[in-house]
Amino acid sequence: MFINWRLRELNLKIVYYGPAVSGKTTNLQYIYAKVDPRIRSEMVSLKTRGDRTLYFDFLQLELGRVAGLKPRFNLYTVPGQVYYTGTRKLVLQSVDGIVFVADSQIHRLEENVESMWEMRENLRELGFDPDGVPLVLQCNKRDLPDIVPTSLLHDRLSLNGVPCFESVAVQGVGVFETLKAIINLVVAKAQQHL
Amino acid sequence: MRRQIVLPEDVAMQIEQILRELRTRARADCTFLADISGQVIDIHGGVEDMDPIVMAALAAGELATMEELTRQIGDRSFGRSLLHEGERRSLYICNVHGTFVLVVVFSTDTPVGLVRLFVRRAIERLSPLADRFEEIVRQDKSVLGVDFSAALSDELDKAFGGI
Repeated sequence: MFINWRLRELNLKIVYYGPAVSGKTTNLQYIYAKVDPRIRSEMVSLKTRGDRTLYFDFLQLELGRVAGLKPRFNLYTVPGQVYYTGTRKLVLQSVDGIVFVADSQIHRLEENVESMWEMRENLRELGFDPDGVPLVLQCNKRDLPDIVPTSLLHDRLSLNGVPCFESVAVQGVGVFETLKAIINLVVAKAQQHL
Repeated sequence: MRRQIVLPEDVAMQIEQILRELRTRARADCTFLADISGQVIDIHGGVEDMDPIVMAALAAGELATMEELTRQIGDRSFGRSLLHEGERRSLYICNVHGTFVLVVVFSTDTPVGLVRLFVRRAIERLSPLADRFEEIVRQDKSVLGVDFSAALSDELDKAFGGI
């Protein structure tokens, strides 16, 4: 969290993390498409030729003044493909909150677990306590057949007490609920220090 | 590790002055400073259609990539600077002590040597501010009032409520 009193801005960095094609970029695309253009930046996507995220997607949202500060939310995704583990770590630098986008399909369960394990390892290497970073679980693709119960995902990812949202990101279901939840968690954590 | 960072007024003022002078002396179109994670701290000037927020995120990513690349070849120094010489405009991105990202956008009519010279001087002046910034990062002081959460929640409802 970065507060610039001269510009009266509060900046938060939120990263969407998760396995390949779980819907991280889709979350940002939906947000970009639906919010008032006056409160968002352009969406930047650094992609491979195959239209997959190579480095990150980036989108900034800026709200009106709250208690004299203008909140700005910097939303990033990481590339999900296993190959890009080094890049995922770079994007996690200075993160304030994380949305873990899990793919609900049964055959993707282990990939979710591996991605979560890797995320925690990356956080540790960056000097974070993985349990201390505000986190929200988004169980995506709930419209598909052969999905696991959210309770199972929650358990397998060892996320005791972490808020969980069901979503169909491609239709926008659960997208803004997830975003609001992570923003509120980050701010609540900041206030714990009072 | 990330904590709450509050930039004091006097540091912000000094940064503003350094960026303003750098822009004038290096005959740049735009100078801006972000923290190492790509969050804009201050900006002077601009170029049509340029979004400094997006540029700051990209510039920070670029420096982070360079740092990792140099680490891979066994070099422990920061990725210090990157220069892109374009057809109409050029871009100079510098890492200031692993704390700030300094970006200068300038016309190709401006000699690169001139930009390098004044950027070097600007970095010398930014160095003590980078040290202070790191000190602030370590302090982890909260400044958000207890009513901030509720007010923010209302604002979020306004922004996303109709969607």
